[in-house]
Amino acid sequence: MTIRHPTRRDLSRATLAGAALVGAPAILTSGVARAQSGPLKVALILPTSGVQAQLGIACRRGADVANDVFAAMKIEGRVEITTYDTESKPDVARTQAEKAVAAGAHILCGAFDSGQTIAIAQVAEQRGIPFIVNIAAAPQITEQGYKWVVRNFPTAPMLITSGLTLHKELFRVTGKTPKTAVLMSVNDTFGTAMVNGIKALFPKLEMPYELLDIITYDPAAKDLSVEVAKAKATKAELLMPVSRLNDAKLLVQELVKQRWEPMGVMNPGAPGLYEQDFLKTMGKFGEFHISNVPWLNPKSPMTQALEKAHAEKYPNDQLDLNGGFTFEAMLVAINALNRARSTHANALMEALRRTKIDQHVMVGGAIEFDAKGQNVNIRSACVQNLKRKPTVVLPADSAAAAPIFPMPGWNDRRRG
Amino acid sequence: MSIVRLLIGGATPRALALLAALLAFLVAAPAFLGPYALSVAILILYFAFVGQAWNIMMGFAGQLSLGHALYAGLGGYIAAGLFFHYGIGPWVGAFVAVAVAVLAGCIVGYLGFRFSLAGVYFALLTIAFSEFTRIAFDHWTWAGGSGGLFLKVQGGVTDILNLRGGATLFYYAILILAVGAFVLCRLLLESRLGRYWLAIREDAEAAQAVGVPVFRCKMIAIAISAALTALAGVWNAFYYNNLFPETAFAMGRSIEITLAPIIGGLGTLFGPIVGAVVLTGMGELFTDLTEHLKISGLKQIFYGLALLVIVIWRPAGVWPWLAKRLGVEERGR
Repeated sequence: MTIRHPTRRDLSRATLAGAALVGAPAILTSGVARAQSGPLKVALILPTSGVQAQLGIACRRGADVANDVFAAMKIEGRVEITTYDTESKPDVARTQAEKAVAAGAHILCGAFDSGQTIAIAQVAEQRGIPFIVNIAAAPQITEQGYKWVVRNFPTAPMLITSGLTLHKELFRVTGKTPKTAVLMSVNDTFGTAMVNGIKALFPKLEMPYELLDIITYDPAAKDLSVEVAKAKATKAELLMPVSRLNDAKLLVQELVKQRWEPMGVMNPGAPGLYEQDFLKTMGKFGEFHISNVPWLNPKSPMTQALEKAHAEKYPNDQLDLNGGFTFEAMLVAINALNRARSTHANALMEALRRTKIDQHVMVGGAIEFDAKGQNVNIRSACVQNLKRKPTVVLPADSAAAAPIFPMPGWNDRRRG
Repeated sequence: MSIVRLLIGGATPRALALLAALLAFLVAAPAFLGPYALSVAILILYFAFVGQAWNIMMGFAGQLSLGHALYAGLGGYIAAGLFFHYGIGPWVGAFVAVAVAVLAGCIVGYLGFRFSLAGVYFALLTIAFSEFTRIAFDHWTWAGGSGGLFLKVQGGVTDILNLRGGATLFYYAILILAVGAFVLCRLLLESRLGRYWLAIREDAEAAQAVGVPVFRCKMIAIAISAALTALAGVWNAFYYNNLFPETAFAMGRSIEITLAPIIGGLGTLFGPIVGAVVLTGMGELFTDLTEHLKISGLKQIFYGLALLVIVIWRPAGVWPWLAKRLGVEERGR
């Protein structure tokens, strides 16, 4: 067989083709005029690859079924969603936002992570495009006087205050109050921010238990036996973990191994315990743990429609707060369009500022934004793992089951 | 010898014409590029600039640093912190940022070079410094701790004194930095110091034997490299307006800095620029492809495969091969 080496002409052709491929999107999109009417084009900018990929994909699933839920709930209009991947990086998030605006997006939505969200917010501010934040907890996002940004997600202090308040509510409802607690936290950005927030808010909230110790550990830890032994030695009656997914598994495994049975494992507002992978992996030892996080309101007809549509399209995936808040971002967008009757940026932004949506999917009051663009009506729910499913047990008006506290022992047959 | 002769000495008329055309294109680019294309051009210039800074260490002096995020992070945090807390603009803040980064570089360099740490051992030292600085910034409340440091963003404002404004302002800022770094590197390479670096890169012991002050030359290399990288950090902080220790000092960021010169051609002046064009262009192309096919993560697979092909196909980098075809080869680097 004869191998034909590329000639200079081949090279020139290849170079031209490559340049055309690289440059085509920019050339084509830069000249696109922004549409003033027609379907609402939403640019959903999320980390669907990189370290936050699974969470970004969970968010996207909530948006993917939005039109089906709108149809089921007889909500007028449809959203035309284009997904852009941030690769879990703020610099890519900014470029993707520019690309989305150039492609004619009417509204930007995203981006799960605070750094990426702020990168997108700058594009929104500079280009005058409404931006709905689905998930991002840094308070600064709505404290900087942005004119084009609204956020339908609690800030970190809101999360902690709401989470710790639910602790007291749970003790009141069950009639059992632990006198001591120990906080175990991952020492990454999120964990450190949570620990600092808890330290600051703890005295103000007059919690009924004494915080005996705060034990931090590395997010990449492969073994938490020493940390759990240290926590056990405090003889605390309540364990409060601020965890991610993998360390939550390690933590519970160690609790079982070391036969430590506190009254409860209850986080003050963190992921890990309610996640599908945790529930699948931990089996019966994943039961009865409590997360105090914003969650879907099971009693809302719209949540039921969302759960149905999600289960039909993604039968193997659990709908959680990521999907819930991203769906709500689509709801906020279509609601704004229906009131603005225009896809013009100013009209949409004005409508967004005047948002008031009573019927939605997450626990809490109506979706409405204050002067800073923050929805202050979001409330956390007490979500307990019951029958391998995160179940809302508080607040009472949203509860799908009664809370079980103290949790049964590891060998208790109810865990089976 | 005049600076102009140093700069263009030895270059063919063809090379000078191509360089002038490239410069003219870059200066005029904001006039005809759309906002998205401009944001891509900004990324290319940024990676070309930091790549040039890293190239001084590895490409010229032969010292492998895998912790350059340390200098970018320090530069960004110091300038942004001074602006955030005291209203000190980045033009002044940059001097403080550069001084701090140079100091950090000198500490790393002193420990590494004084105790003859070379190759991967020196690389590990640079990683270690970057990592513990990240942990320190996680707990430093002045810098916002792990919750991050945020600069205020205002739409429609152009304030050159405080480096506040739109993409065009930042495009020209990074263009000036990239061109400045290119000129500086060219001058350095033509100087005695540059010759010493190349000698050290090829064989440090032989260089020492013939009287090259190896320790001093290496220290100068790390100081200049840290200073330039810190400037990139300052630009980065004011462009993105937010800093988190977890990303500012991340290992991934250090790796990103190294890619453009490696792909473009280590030790060459145009290598970091060509590498930045290839990598960013390829990245955008694969992003479009991934979005079209709607398969998450496909970009990273294609990107990795493409890098593999380039490294196998052109182990010395793309630029030496391209320069040969364009008839503008750099002299013996």
